[in-house]
Amino acid sequence: MNITVSQHAGRVPVTVFHITGDIDTTTYERFQAQAQQAHAAGMRNLLLDLAEVPFVSSAGIRAINNIFNLLRTDAPGESDEAMRAGLRDGTFKSPHLKVLNPTPRVLEVLTLAGVDMFLEVHRDLKTALDSFGGSAG
Amino acid sequence: MTVTLRVAAEVHNLAAIRRFIQETGAALDASASAIDDLVLAVDESATNIIKHGYGGQLGDIEIEIWREAEAVVVRLRDQAPPFDPTRVPDPDVTLPLDRRPVGGLGVFLTRCLVDAITHRLTSQGGNELTLTKKANAHSVISQETPHEHDQ
Repeated sequence: MNITVSQHAGRVPVTVFHITGDIDTTTYERFQAQAQQAHAAGMRNLLLDLAEVPFVSSAGIRAINNIFNLLRTDAPGESDEAMRAGLRDGTFKSPHLKVLNPTPRVLEVLTLAGVDMFLEVHRDLKTALDSFGGSAG
Repeated sequence: MTVTLRVAAEVHNLAAIRRFIQETGAALDASASAIDDLVLAVDESATNIIKHGYGGQLGDIEIEIWREAEAVVVRLRDQAPPFDPTRVPDPDVTLPLDRRPVGGLGVFLTRCLVDAITHRLTSQGGNELTLTKKANAHSVISQETPHEHDQ
């Protein structure tokens, strides 16, 4: 697995991880560590470009979960109560972590694991970038 | 036809295990969707054997795959301490992410992906896990993507 990072300035700065290769038991720690380093360096919004990721296992799902928690802030829209209510109504999506172009197979795994309940899935880079910094974030 | 792979129980062998299931699944005339589901189910099962079964100790995993009427069957054998994944409770995937217990997700995915899972202890004291999947299976979930946000 390799990660190429790009930075985009829009309404808010967005970091994009263009990931190539499998996110599995042997690679998830590197994926997670790279997100932690970027967060320590100031990253607040992350788009995961999964177009070149053929395989994600539960280890990859856990890494995505951990990155979601890493990027969560104490904004009112992200409080425990708001998140719980939003998940119940199907209206909560992370304002800070989103997914771009997963393959049908990877999207299926994200859906089985319930991750798609709180991650927006986008099909177009510009639309995805423009979606950050909206009212929820 | 039964095809067997025997590898050391080490995480760097997971890619080879996935490739083995991919290639033999195709040779056994399983659908692409059934093969994808088995690849992930076997990866998760082998990961559990390596990380939680052997827990860093040396050992092997033997994986057999064969066609049985309309199903593809994969059997994983190890000599690790007894562990029955069919007894692991499902995680609550409706809970917020930071409220979910760690672990159990791999077993949950495996249950979703195959049609039957059985576990038994072998007479040698090891574990034998059998995964059965309909060979002509379609996707385990709908391909529609209601959560997508743009065209």
